[in-house]
Amino acid sequence: MSTHENMTLHLKIWRQNGPDSKGHFEDHTMDEVNPHMSFLEMLDLLNERLMQNGKQPIEFDHDCREGICGSCNLVINGIPHGPEMRTAACQLHMRKFNDGETVTIEPWRAKAFPIIKDLVVDRDAFDRIQAAGGFVSTRTGSMVDANAIPISKEAADKSMDYAVCIGCGACVAACPNSSASLFTGAKIAQFAKLPQGAPERKRRVVAMVEQMEKEGFGDCSNYAECEAVCPVGISISAIAEMRKEYVKALF
Amino acid sequence: MSSLQLLQTSVGRKLLTGITGILLTLFLVAHLAGNLTLFAPDGGVAFNLYADFLHNLGPILIIFEIVLIVLFLLHAYIGISIYRGRKKARPENYTYYKSQGGPSKQDFASKTMIYTGLVILLFVVLHVLHFKYNFFIPHETTTLEGREMIDLAYHVEKAFLNPWITIAYSVVMVLIGLHLKHGVWSAFISLGAGNPKLTALLYTIGIIVAILLAAGFLIIPIYIFLNGGL
Amino acid sequence: MAVKEKKTFKWDSQVPTGPLAEKWSSHKNNIKLVNPNNKRKFNVIVVGTGLAGASAAASLAELGYNVKAFCIQDSARRAHSIAAQGGINAAKNYQNDGDSVYRLFYDTIKGGDYRSREANVYRLAEVSNNIIDQCVAQGVPFAREYGGALANRSFGGAQLSRTFYARGQTGQQLLLGAYSALMKEVHSGKVEMFAREEMLDLVVVDGRARGIITRNLVSGEIKRHAADAVLLCTGGYGNVFYLSTNAKNSNATAAWRCYKRGAIFGNPSFTQIHPTCIPVSGEYQSKLTLMSESLRNDGRVWVPKAVGDKRHPNDIPEDERDYYLERIYPSFGNLVPRDVASRNAKNVCDEGRGVGESGLAVYLDFRDAIKRDGENTIREKYGNLFDMYEKITGENPYEVPMRIFPAVHYTMGGLWVDYNLMSNVPGLFVLGEANFSDHGANRLGASALMQGLADGYFVIPYTLGHYIASNNFEKVDENHQAFKDTEHESVSRIDKLLKIKGKKTILDFHRQLGKIMWDKVGMARNEKGLKEAIKEIQELRAEFWENVFVPGEQSTYNKYLEYANRVADFMELGELMARDALERNESCGGHFREESQTPEGEAKRDDENFCHVAAWEFKGDDKAPELHIEQLEFENVKLTQRSYK
Repeated sequence: MSTHENMTLHLKIWRQNGPDSKGHFEDHTMDEVNPHMSFLEMLDLLNERLMQNGKQPIEFDHDCREGICGSCNLVINGIPHGPEMRTAACQLHMRKFNDGETVTIEPWRAKAFPIIKDLVVDRDAFDRIQAAGGFVSTRTGSMVDANAIPISKEAADKSMDYAVCIGCGACVAACPNSSASLFTGAKIAQFAKLPQGAPERKRRVVAMVEQMEKEGFGDCSNYAECEAVCPVGISISAIAEMRKEYVKALF
Repeated sequence: MSSLQLLQTSVGRKLLTGITGILLTLFLVAHLAGNLTLFAPDGGVAFNLYADFLHNLGPILIIFEIVLIVLFLLHAYIGISIYRGRKKARPENYTYYKSQGGPSKQDFASKTMIYTGLVILLFVVLHVLHFKYNFFIPHETTTLEGREMIDLAYHVEKAFLNPWITIAYSVVMVLIGLHLKHGVWSAFISLGAGNPKLTALLYTIGIIVAILLAAGFLIIPIYIFLNGGL
Repeated sequence: MAVKEKKTFKWDSQVPTGPLAEKWSSHKNNIKLVNPNNKRKFNVIVVGTGLAGASAAASLAELGYNVKAFCIQDSARRAHSIAAQGGINAAKNYQNDGDSVYRLFYDTIKGGDYRSREANVYRLAEVSNNIIDQCVAQGVPFAREYGGALANRSFGGAQLSRTFYARGQTGQQLLLGAYSALMKEVHSGKVEMFAREEMLDLVVVDGRARGIITRNLVSGEIKRHAADAVLLCTGGYGNVFYLSTNAKNSNATAAWRCYKRGAIFGNPSFTQIHPTCIPVSGEYQSKLTLMSESLRNDGRVWVPKAVGDKRHPNDIPEDERDYYLERIYPSFGNLVPRDVASRNAKNVCDEGRGVGESGLAVYLDFRDAIKRDGENTIREKYGNLFDMYEKITGENPYEVPMRIFPAVHYTMGGLWVDYNLMSNVPGLFVLGEANFSDHGANRLGASALMQGLADGYFVIPYTLGHYIASNNFEKVDENHQAFKDTEHESVSRIDKLLKIKGKKTILDFHRQLGKIMWDKVGMARNEKGLKEAIKEIQELRAEFWENVFVPGEQSTYNKYLEYANRVADFMELGELMARDALERNESCGGHFREESQTPEGEAKRDDENFCHVAAWEFKGDDKAPELHIEQLEFENVKLTQRSYK
C-alpha cells in the first residue's frame, strides 16, 4: 500500500441517465491521486477535471463525509463502501489502493433502490419502513422524568449497538438476495431492548416486516454479508432479534 | 394479520425454514442412530429388528411419514421460492461482486444451498425407492424371532458393495454436510438466537453437527465397501 | 456604511415583562391558543429536518396542524444534526453537583460573552430538562450507569457534569428520535414529507410569509407551496469558509433568500471555530472532521517549547513540552471554552511552534490518561473517535498524540428572531442554528442540540399558535401573483447560472471565497483585512457571474447546479459577515478583533459600545445593507470580563 507517492488509478464508473435508461461503464484514468485523499475527494477531483473539459460530472450522493449521515452509496471493487471493513466510502482513503490498480464503482443495486442517475439511488423505501412502525408513539410533552424509567446499562448499550445504524443501505446492496433485514432488524431490535418500546412491540414488528415486503426487498438467507459491509458493524443478531419479536407477535 | 398470514412474510417463511430444517436434522440424527445398529456384531440382526419395529408401527408410522414429507416439501418449497425471489429483488446484477469476508458467512456451502438442496431432494426420492420400496433390487427376507421380515441389512450390504452406488451415496452425504454447515447456523438465526456474542459459537456448533452427521452416514458405505461386506 | 446610532430598534423583541424565572411561564399563560378543531385548517411549512425542523414538524403535526416538511437530503434522517458527537446539556442536577436552571442559564450567557438575550437563554435552560425527558420517552438510548440512571459527563467550558450523551453519537441518536417522531406523523398523514426538495425562495404576501418556492432535486421541477406560516430550520452557514465541519450540502440559501425578502440578519460575523478538528492534509481537502471536544476531558494539549522542533512527539521529553492551556489558564486548563482554545492554538502556530507537516496543528495527547486509567477505559470513552482519527490520518492515537487544529464549526449568527422565534417578517419563524438567538458570540459545547430541540419541541408549538390565533388569514393559494413572481425570479436565476458556461469551476470559486474568509474573517480579524475581504469578495462575485462553469441542465438531477446556487449566496453572505465584523470593533466570544485586546493578548469586550445585537437589513443588490441595533439589557447577570485563568 502506498503512503506517500501520488498514484495513478484506472476507474470503471457506472453511468446511467435515469431509472429507465440503460447504463454502462465509463473508463477514466486518474493520475496524481494523493494517497491521503478520501475516496470521495478523488471523485471530486475527477469531476473537476471533467468539468474543466466541459464534460458532464459523475453524480454521486454524499453529505457529511464523516461516516454518519449514510448518504454515500458506492459499490467499490464489488463491495459496498469498498475494501475497508467498518468504513463508509467517505471515510475510505486512497492509501488503501495501489498504484496502477483498476477500481470499479457501481451504485447500490436492488429493485427497491431504483437508480436516479449515475451512482445515485432512491432509498425512500427505508423511510417508509421506518414510518410503518419505527417509533415510540409518544407525544411531545407526555413524558415522565427521564430517570423515572430505569434502564440497565446493559440494555441501553445493547439498544445503542443497534441504534447506530446510519441507514445507508449497504446491507441491501451486499446481500445476494437484496434483503433489508439488517436495517429493519436493527430498528426493531433497538426498541425491543428498551422498556419504552414494549407497548408497541407486536404492532411494530408486524408493520415493519410487512412494509419491507411491500417495498420489494428479497428474503434473508443469513449470509451475514450485511454485517460484513455495515460501516458501523451492526451484528446479524439484529435479524435474529427481529425474528424473536416476530414470534412473539404470532401469539 | 392472522398468524397464518404472518407465516407467509419473509420473516415467517424464514421461521418455517428454520423449524422444518431443525426437525429434519433431528430426523437425520434418529436415522443415523438406527443405521449405526448395523455395526452391532450380530450380522445385521439388530438393524433388521429395528427396521421391522418401525414397519410394524402401523398408523403411527404413516402419520410420521406424512409429517416428514410435509416438512421436507415445505422446506424445499420455501427454499426454492427464496432463491427465485432473488432475481426479482435485483433485476440488474452487479458486474463486479465480491464478499467482504470477516463476519460474512458467504462461502461454498451457503452459496450452494439451492443446489445441494435440489440434489438432496432428488436423492431422497431415489433413496426411498431404493431402500423402502426395493425398487432397484430383489426383495430378500429373513426370519428373526419367529417372524419373517425384510432383510434390510442384506440390502444395504449389497448396495454398498457396488462402487457406483457407494460413490454416489458418499458424494450426496458430503453435500448434506455442506447443506447442514450453513443450514444449522442459519436455523438458529432464523429462530431468533439474538445474542451477538453467541453467533460465532452457533456457527461452530453448526459445523460440528454437519461434520458428525455427514461422517456418521459416510462410515457405513465406506466401511462396507472397503471391508467387502459387513 | 451605517453608523452606530443609539436610536430605538425598529422591531419588538417581544420579551415578556416580569421576573426572569417567570417570563416563559407567564408568557405561555398569556399567549393565545388555537382551538383544537381549528388547527387542522392551518398549513405550516417546515424547511429542514434536523433537530429543530424534525422536532417542530412532529410536534406541530401532533397538535393537529397540517405540516409540509422539506429537506434537501434523500431522507429527513440525514440532516447534519446527525453528526453532532459530544452531547446535550440539561440542568437536571442528577449528579447532585449543584446544577440548576439558573446555573445553566448563567453559564450559557457568560459563555456567549454577554451577547445574547437573557430571556431567551433562560427559557432555553428552563426547557432543557423537558428535552431529556422527551428523548428518553422516544427511546433514545442515552448512556446509563449500572444502577439504571442516566449518565452524565462534563463538557468543554462547564464545571458541572450536565451533559447527556449516547456514546460519541448523541446528535445521531437525538435526530433519529426526532426523525422517528416525524415519520410517525408522516405515517399518520399529518406531515407531508418532501425529501430532495430545496427551498429557493420565500413568498411574501402583504408583508407576511405565505409560502416557498422549491426545486425538486431529482426532476428539477420548480414548485410553489402555500401555507399560513413558514418555519426555517435550515442550520448554519459555516460552509461560507469552504472548509468547515459542516456537511457538504449544508448551506445558507434558504436563510439568505429570506434575508433578501426582508428578514434581518443578526450578528452574521459570529462564527465558532472549534478547537479539536483533524488538521488539513492537502489542497484536495473537501471538508474538515471534528472530533468531539469531550476529548479535552482526558487529552492534554501541547506544542514543543522550542520553535521549529520537528522531532517525533514521543521523542520530546516532558520538560520540553508546553502544555500551554494548562499554563495560561490554570483553573480551566484544557477545558477552556472553544474560542479561547482555538485562538491559543492559532497563537502558538503563529509563533512557529505548530506541529505536523504544515505546522498548522497542535498535539492532543492521551499518554497520561492511558497511563492513569488504562487503555481500555480510554477506548470505552473515545473508541469511535480514535478509530475515526486513525481512518483519516493513518496514525494510531493510542500510541502517537493526535494532531488537531481549529476549524469552522458553527455559526451563532443567523436570522434575527423575537422571543417567539419569529423573524421581523410576520409568519416567518426561524429555529435552531439558523436563528441568531441563544448563543451570543460563542456557543458552549453540548448546547446546539439543546437549542435545536428546545425550539422545535417546546417553544414553537406555543408561539406558532399565538401567531395563528392573533391574526386573520385570508386565503392565499399557489396561483397568487406573488408566487408567480417569486417563481419567475428563481427560474431566471437558474437559467442565468446555466448560461454562463465559463471557464472556472464552482469549486474554484468556493475555495477562493473560503480562503478570503479564513484569512481575513476567521479567528482573528482587523480593520484592514476586513476591508480587503469585502473588496475581494465583491470582485470574486463579479467574476463568478461572468466565468463560472455550471454543467448540465435544469430539468435533471444536477448536484453542481445546486452547488452553484448555494455558492452564489455564500459570496453575498461572506461580504455581510465581513461588514458585521468590521462594524463590531470589539472582541467578544468567537469574534476577535486585533484592535481590541488586553496587554496579555486576551479578548477585550467593549460593553459601552457593543452590548447589542447587530441586525442587518437588505436594501438592494447594489446598496449597502442597513444596520439596526437591538440593545441587550442585562437585569439578572452582571457583565464581567470572561476569565478562565
